Formats: sequence, C-alpha cells, structure tokens
Amino acid sequence: MPLNFQDMIRELQAYWAARDCVVMQPYHTELGAGTFNPATFLRCLGPEPWRTVYVEPCLRPSDGRYGENPYRFQQYYQLQVILKPAPEDILDQYFGSLEAVGIDTKRHDVRLVEDDWEGPTLGAWGLGWEVWVDGMEVTQFTYFQQLGGMDVAVVSGEITYGLERLAMFLQDKRTAFDLEWAPGMTWGEVYRENERQFSAYNFEQASVELLMRHFADYEAECERLLARELPLPAYDQVLKASHTFNLLDARGAISATERASYIGRVRDLARQVAQEYVGEAAAA
Amino acid sequence: MAKLLLLEIGCEELPAASVYEAEAQLPVLSERQLGAKPDQLLVGPRRLAILVSVEEQTGEQWIKGPPVSLREKAAEGFAKRHGVSVDDLEERDGFLGVVSLGEPLSEALPGQLDAIVRGLRFGKTMRWDDSGLRFPRPVRWTCARLDADPVEGHGTTTQGHRFTHGEVDVPSAEAYVETLRSAGVEPDPAERQRLIGEGLDALGEWRDPLRKLREVIHLVEQPLVLEGSFDERFLSLPAAVIETAMQSHQRYFPLGENRFAFVANGGDPDVVRRGNENVLEGRLDDASFTFERDVNAGIDELAGRLGSIVYFAEAGTFADKTQRLVALVDRLGGGDASLEAARLAKADQAAELVREFPDLEGEIGAEYARLAGYPEAVSAAIAEQYLPDSAGGPLPETEPGRVLAAADKIDALTVSFSLGHKPTGSRDPFGLRRAAIGLDRLATEGGLTIPRELLPGQVGEFVEERFEGLLRDVPVEFVRAARAAGVPDLGSVARLAQALAALPDERLEPIHTAYIRAGRLGEKEKAAAKLDPELLTEPAEKEVVDALAAVEPQIAAALETSDFEAAVEAGARLGPVLHAFFEDVLVMAEDPKVRENRLRLLLDVRDTLGALGDLAQIPR
Repeated sequence: MPLNFQDMIRELQAYWAARDCVVMQPYHTELGAGTFNPATFLRCLGPEPWRTVYVEPCLRPSDGRYGENPYRFQQYYQLQVILKPAPEDILDQYFGSLEAVGIDTKRHDVRLVEDDWEGPTLGAWGLGWEVWVDGMEVTQFTYFQQLGGMDVAVVSGEITYGLERLAMFLQDKRTAFDLEWAPGMTWGEVYRENERQFSAYNFEQASVELLMRHFADYEAECERLLARELPLPAYDQVLKASHTFNLLDARGAISATERASYIGRVRDLARQVAQEYVGEAAAA
Repeated sequence: MAKLLLLEIGCEELPAASVYEAEAQLPVLSERQLGAKPDQLLVGPRRLAILVSVEEQTGEQWIKGPPVSLREKAAEGFAKRHGVSVDDLEERDGFLGVVSLGEPLSEALPGQLDAIVRGLRFGKTMRWDDSGLRFPRPVRWTCARLDADPVEGHGTTTQGHRFTHGEVDVPSAEAYVETLRSAGVEPDPAERQRLIGEGLDALGEWRDPLRKLREVIHLVEQPLVLEGSFDERFLSLPAAVIETAMQSHQRYFPLGENRFAFVANGGDPDVVRRGNENVLEGRLDDASFTFERDVNAGIDELAGRLGSIVYFAEAGTFADKTQRLVALVDRLGGGDASLEAARLAKADQAAELVREFPDLEGEIGAEYARLAGYPEAVSAAIAEQYLPDSAGGPLPETEPGRVLAAADKIDALTVSFSLGHKPTGSRDPFGLRRAAIGLDRLATEGGLTIPRELLPGQVGEFVEERFEGLLRDVPVEFVRAARAAGVPDLGSVARLAQALAALPDERLEPIHTAYIRAGRLGEKEKAAAKLDPELLTEPAEKEVVDALAAVEPQIAAALETSDFEAAVEAGARLGPVLHAFFEDVLVMAEDPKVRENRLRLLLDVRDTLGALGDLAQIPR
C-alpha cells in the first residue's frame, strides 16, 4: 500500500529530522512558496549553519481554477528542506528520502533536469534542477547563489518537494482531488470547496481598493520598521505586500506597465531587509 | 614513449548546453596544456573526460639567465636557483643559461590538469563551496590515470550509473571506457546518440519538431528508448498542441497517432513507461482544459486582453505592437486578409495555452482564428508570421503571411534597435540577425516590396548589410555599391547588386573608371553650376553630352520599371564615349570657363551613373 498524504509528509519530516534538521511549522502569513518563509530566505543569508524541514501551504491566487482543473490550484503544499552549507552528498541524501517514501530508484527513472530558479520579488536566484521520477516533476532542487540582491555567504541547498505531485506519483492518481489524505478522506474532500470559494475571491471579489491601500501600508510599515532596525517584522511586511500584489495581479488590477514597478518595489524592500538582517547578525 | 592519459571531471548533472560548451573547449585546452588533442572526448551529464596520448617528458627548454657581461654579479644566484654550478652554465647569443631536459610528465601533470579544469569557460556558472572554483554544477570528483599510474591531486575512482552502480575503481586510462560500460554508463556521446537513434528508428517514424534530441543525448548516461501511448480521446486536440505537450517539457518524440517515444536513463521498462504515460495524459488533460477555456473566450476576446501584456519593457504592450503591425501591413500594401491577420496576430499571447507552451505561439493563434470562423487566408497568415524561423528556413507560403511576417520583423528590429539591443559579435539574444535575413529573403525570394523608408538609419544598414552574406554569387562590394543607389525598396537593392555584378568586366571598367575620375576631379575643383553648351569645343565632349542626354532617361525609365539589367546596360553604354573623352580632352584647360564647364560635365556623368549606386565601392 502506498503511503497516504499525511503519512508521506510524516515520513519525509522524520527522514530529515534524523539528519539534524529542525522541524519547523508553516509560517503564519500567506506565502507564494516555501522559499519566502524567513526560515529559508533570512536563514540562508549570513554564514551560520542551518538545517530545517517544514511544510508550507503555497498561495498562488492566479493559478486557481474553481476546483475544476485537475492540475491547477490556488493553494497547494510544498515540503521544504534547507541544508546550509550544502553537504557534498546532498543529492544522495535527497535520493534517500525518495526511497524513504517508497520510490525504488533502481526500478524507476529518476533524473535531474536543468532548471534554474529565479525569484524576482526576492532579488534571488540559484542553479539546480527539477527532479523527475518517470517523467513526473516531484521536486525542485536549488543551490542558492543570491538572495536579496546579495551573493550568499555560504551556499545552501534547497530541496522543495511538490507534495501533491509526489503523492499523485506514489498513489498512482491522475488528479490531486483523488489523493488519499487520510484513511477514508481525499484531498478533494478537504480542499475542493476551498478552491471554488477562493478562486471566486481571487478573481472576482477581492476588493481592489482595499488591497491597493494595504499594499501602500505594508510598504510604508516595512520602511518604518527598517529605520527602527527591526528586520524580522519588516520582512513580514514584505511578505504581506508580496501576497497583496499577487492578489491584485489575479484580480487583473495591475496593468502590464505597472507590474514591473510593483515587483521592483517588493524587491527593493526585500533587499533592504536582507541587508539589515545581515548587518544585525554581524553586529550581534 | 607515449602514454595514455585520462582526466575525468565528475559533476552533478550538467545542463546539456554546458556539456556542449565543454566539448568545444576541451581539445583546445588539451593541446595547450598537454601538447596534444584528445584521442577521445567522453562527455555527458555527470562527467567531462578526455583520453590523450602524451609524451613521458615535457620538451627540452632553454632557460635564459643574465647577460654574459653580468657573469660576476648575477651568474651565481641564477645557477643556484637552477641547481647547477656556475661552470655548468652555457652561453647562447650573449646570455648565460641552462638547458632543462624537461620535467618528467608526472611532475608537470597536476598543474596542467588543474589548468584544464580551471580553463573551461561556461555561460552560466555557480559556486557550491569555498574552493573558489566556478562550474555549471558542482564538481564532486576528479579521476586521472597516466597509463596505470595515479596522478597527484586526483582520484583513481569514478562513479558508475547513479542508481545501479556506485563508486568503481579505474585501473588504467585504457580501461576507462570499459570500466564505465560495465558500471551502467555509456561515456561516449556518439555511441549514446547512435543507440538512441537506433532505438527510435526501431519504433517507427519519429519526429523531433522542437529539436530535443541534442539535449536528450546529454540527459542520460544509459539510454533506454521506450514507447508509450495515450488515450485516443486527446486526439481531438490540434496536433501542434499534442506535439508541443510531448516535446516542450517532457522531451518525448511523437510517433504519430497516440504513440510517442522517450529516452529514459534506466529503470524497469514497464514501470517507467506507465509513469511517463500518466504524466503525458496529465499534461494533455490540462492542455485540453486550457484549450477549451481559450476557445470559449475566442480570439477576439483574447486580442482585447493584449493591453495588459508587456511586449518589451519600454516598448509598450502587445496592444501597442498590434497597432504598429496593422500600420506596417498597410504600408506594405497588405490586403484585407493581411490587415485582419495583423489585428489578430498577437492575440494568442493572451492565450493560457501559450503561457503554458510558448512554442505554440502563432500556430495556436491560427487555430483559434479558424475556430472563430475567420477565412483560411487570415488563419494561414497568423500561423506563418514567424517564418522564416531560421536563416535557411522556409518562407510563408501565402501573400498575407509574407506581408505579416515582414511587418513583424520590421517592428522587432525597429524596437530592439531603438532600445539599444543591437547584436554584438556572436551575441544576438533577440534573434535580430535572423529577423534581418528573413526580411531580406522576403524581399528577394518572397518577391515582397518592402520600402526602404520603413527601415531608417541603423536598422536599414543592418538589414541591407545582411545581403552581403545572403547573395552568394555577388561580391560584397557590389552590394555596398547598390545600397548607395536611390532605389526605393529592399529587393531592388539586391537585384541592382546582382545586375552590377553580372556586367562583364570589360564593360564595367570604362564607366567605373569614369565615375571615380569624374568624382575625384569634380569634387576637388570648382565646377560650373550648370553646363553651358556654348563652351563645348571638342567633339569628344560633345559626344559625352549627347550620350548623357540619351542614357540618363533610359536609366531612369529602367529603374522606374525595376529593370535593373536594362539600367546597368544603359549606363554601360556611356563607357566608350567616356573612354574617348579622357583620351582626347584636357579637363584642366587653361581657360577657367572651359575648365569649369568640363568639370560640370564630369559631375553630371557621376550623378547619372550614381543612379546605379556608388561604383567607387567596387575595387578595380
């Protein structure tokens, strides 16, 4: 019997916990990807070693399809692993995690296919791969090179499992809605209505006026907190601004020419936070 | 005695493009460092290896020391540094020195191999630890053998197939290839290519429209060619959508109908096949969903959304681009179908399917136009707008397609140049060379009239310069000459250059000489403002005047009807009279009025011949 969704998550967490990773919990504000979590973005700055594993619900407002498309959702899960510095055998450790959830790497075709990552709102990029198992992309693997516009002091390895994709592969399911989450309960039963309602919110109901105001507020608050040398709460404002921008974008409220400028504004804040964070750490 | 040297740089999975970059540089680096090109280049995703025949000793070397005159002062130190006594120093050309017999190879090798590893240059590199080395992906081991000897600083083991074999010992350089083959790795890219080609051929007629094979060779170390199929209900999707879903991300090869081939890196064939079939069906399911949403929106609705999609930062949106295309198509004399196609050309940039599969642009827009009931001519033009998509690729087959393709290229070139994105050297990220060559071919092979005034300044120069390579039977100087003519459209430049080049040398010579001499004299000295027939004294100059009066309108008329052979022919008729003129007439006459009048006549000759271009560009 293949692992169900929650058991698969538990196995992965246990696997990485056994390899000295701190098991964190999801961050408390909306994120577009696990990389935005301060346990990745901020902790991968500076020279200090850090290892963590956590599940992150990822919100992509414009990817919602009202629960009708079997492959697209406005919310899905990532399991994020950070190994800083990236150990020499990081790939072997990763392949071990696939074995841990029941993928026999000798029977399957596991491949690393070039896929370089760039996060324009975070001023970040890295080189790496998407990992294929029999053609299914189940993980993004990245060696960070820059974060917040700065070269990283120590190169971290970021392993991002797409949990629904991985589970679909393990459970041999064609859509996430049919995944067994727990005995007697499917992913669809947990989330389909969620997809319908949030798609309606993201595309139709979100108040543009309110979101515009919020964006400006978060931006101002971030700058104020930076002036007070409080990079951690300042970074929360970056996250909120970033999600607000994504909502405005899904809502079609941002013109093509404004788009680049919004991204630039968020990136500029992320850059300042990163500098302040590194400066704080160096001073401490 | 020659020995066989192995150097293997072991990496985490390299991008195929990096493997090709290394493959191009390794022979040069090997020759520079080791004095010989590799016997074999064994490159792939996890290893860049060379096998090289090398001499055991590096060559004899003369190490120059101080001049003989400084024997007392400097010789001792120099001799000491090289481990000999002063008496052992030799004298050559006034300098002292020592002959070094060359190092044994084993001593030189570590440095040379290090220089090869560090000498490789890649477009995109990373760091992964604090070694300071930059490479496209982490280097995890190096292995070297000189015959069966180890090389300092390098290991003697390699890694077999990532999942079926671990670390294996390489007993000697000679045994390298066989060692890897028995560890589940085919290290020779040519052999992998052969195996893949054979495997695909065995499955039937396979296609590779997006040219993925080059990459696939470096995505596997142990190619396993398999066949899969998908549910026939997806065959209702346009073929281009199915093929793109197969190729763009998954790198599968269409086999026709609902079959496809793919290349795995090992595994249980049945297990691997089933997984890949599921993935493709998932992608086709998603594509169907997206396709239906696009079709339901309709192409006009999609076109209406273009105002929110940036074409080029600082060059507005696709709605702005659409307006420019419509205007350009109008200037190019396009008819209703071309204008309609221009209006809808970029609509598919708003299609969800194109966001998912950018390779479908053009083709899927054409499909949406067809489904919305637009005439076939409109749809065909939309599909053909990006042609030719390579320097020698096919041109659009329909007239509206050619007009739209030309408009698209003119706009791309104009926008890119105005934003300062000009191609430099081999760098041409926006494909502007291809666009310019495409435009030239549309004007020549495609017979499209492209007014030169649509290509002002540097854009025009760039486009017309491409004729120099394109018109293979025309020397470049004739192209340069023709470009200076006042002909109104791009194709005329090419045809005039061809007509000039076709003129036999003995007929070109007299007008060419006259043009250059007339220009040289006429520009240096003061000439009369207007020719005064009263001042003409010599028969030879009168003949020139008469000939000019006859030929000038002939050239003009021929150019008017784009009969460039006739225009050049008419110009050439001036040859004999001009020849006689320079033989018989003294231009620099004593009488200033006569002189200035003759100089005027020469300028008239130059201007008349100048309608055929700047003949001075042609060397004689």
